[in-house]
Amino acid sequence: MAVTWLSYAIFQRALIGCVMTGLLTGLLGVFVVRMRLTAIGYSMAHSAFAGAALGVALGADPLITAMMFSAFTASFIGPAADKARIPVDTITSIAFSLNMALAFIFLTLSPQVGLSSEVAGVIWGSIIALTSEDLAFLTLIFLIASLLIYLFWKEFFAIMFDRRMAEADGINTRPFVYFIVFMVGLVVAFSLKLVGGILLYALLFNPASSALQFLHDMKKIIILSPVIGVISCISGFLLSLTFDVPVGACIALVSTIIFAISVALSPKRRKEVRK
Amino acid sequence: MAPIIELKDVSTVYEGERRPAIRDINLTLEEGEVIYVVGPNAAGKTTLLETICGLLPASMGRVLVFNLDVRKFGGRIRREIGYVPQDFMVDPGEPYTALDVVLMGRFGKIGILNKLSGEDKMKALEAMKLLGIEDLTNKPIGKLSGGQQQKVMIARAISKEPKILLLDEPFSSLDPESRERVSEMISWLNRERGITAVIVTHDLRQIHNQHSRVIVMSGGRIVAEGDFKSILESAKIFFP
Repeated sequence: MAVTWLSYAIFQRALIGCVMTGLLTGLLGVFVVRMRLTAIGYSMAHSAFAGAALGVALGADPLITAMMFSAFTASFIGPAADKARIPVDTITSIAFSLNMALAFIFLTLSPQVGLSSEVAGVIWGSIIALTSEDLAFLTLIFLIASLLIYLFWKEFFAIMFDRRMAEADGINTRPFVYFIVFMVGLVVAFSLKLVGGILLYALLFNPASSALQFLHDMKKIIILSPVIGVISCISGFLLSLTFDVPVGACIALVSTIIFAISVALSPKRRKEVRK
Repeated sequence: MAPIIELKDVSTVYEGERRPAIRDINLTLEEGEVIYVVGPNAAGKTTLLETICGLLPASMGRVLVFNLDVRKFGGRIRREIGYVPQDFMVDPGEPYTALDVVLMGRFGKIGILNKLSGEDKMKALEAMKLLGIEDLTNKPIGKLSGGQQQKVMIARAISKEPKILLLDEPFSSLDPESRERVSEMISWLNRERGITAVIVTHDLRQIHNQHSRVIVMSGGRIVAEGDFKSILESAKIFFP
């Protein structure tokens, strides 16, 4: 049945969206997990959700408002992570509750009160929401992110091992960390339509965490994680088509199952048990 | 000889704290000098090292390294400093080999956008050989023992061919034989390459050179300074 659906342009777009979203979240997820920016990634996903909800409420483009909220969060939490007198976890937890509260207030205030398709799309994701422009932007972001990561791999490699030691070696780590936070904001905003605001963060952490279970080589991890991201997105998309359930929920479910399997099969853990 | 490190009335306060971790520190090191910093826990020894290299900004006073202000030229200065932190331990699943970590020591020096060369790898392997860990090159760092990890961190600091070494408890996880080896290596680097070194230790037995300058810290202040023999007398007062 899925094959028949795939002959429609709308589903082809969704499939390409799955590939690009999986690649981007899988790639950036490695940096988010290794740089211990998980709380920030989590917060960004939900601020984009609140922004998109505001867009729906105002009848504006949810992508624009999601990006505005993401940009604000990125510019606020990035420096706060460096110079806060309050722990970052506290800031991000407060930001999470604030964003979720704002998101639901905005959705309630929307002209189409209740779970209209647009509102449901922002919450759970929707395969029909992606436009060709969204795909073009996702592709462009992937190319830019890949190029910059390739050019500055040495610096990222050291920062992912230990940011303070990278500083001790004379690397100015701040621009690299801010770059990742900024890219996460962009990717979150563009992936929101497909995956939805509530479960998007799962795609930022699960593929990278799964890849880290298997390999001891960062270069291989940086390739495996996007592959797992793509597998999660495409499998979730096909599940969603087959059982007529929200695509974001299916993607999050598949990526969590892959993570659980990775933990069970992890050669790193097996060796520890033998010891 | 010109001072290579100069601290003038330096106090450092951690963010969120009111009491300075180190206060009113005045210290001058000549090029090629090796000094030991001793003192009880929470004396401010680690803060002193991190203030010298600018990882912790001094709240008051002035820190000059190579006659440059650390506050303004921190990154440039740290490219010439090999820093080994205290008790640096990594997770068992860490996806880096020992060689990866040692090579990182050269990243700052190589500069942005430049790739690693064969020479960089050679310097890293040379540093590992000095520490006797050349057989650990491709082992995941997380699978190494505490002592081996400590040697990897020392090799990382040395691989960048620094002008200054800042070593925070470099002997803490090492067995007696390895302590001897690291001590000899520091002496050799000082003798052959003219490296200046500041070595933090809480164990006076680790000071091998009887002529070395030793400073004693307590409560964030320098409370005694002199050669090893005179400090032994002071030690009876400070560590009865």
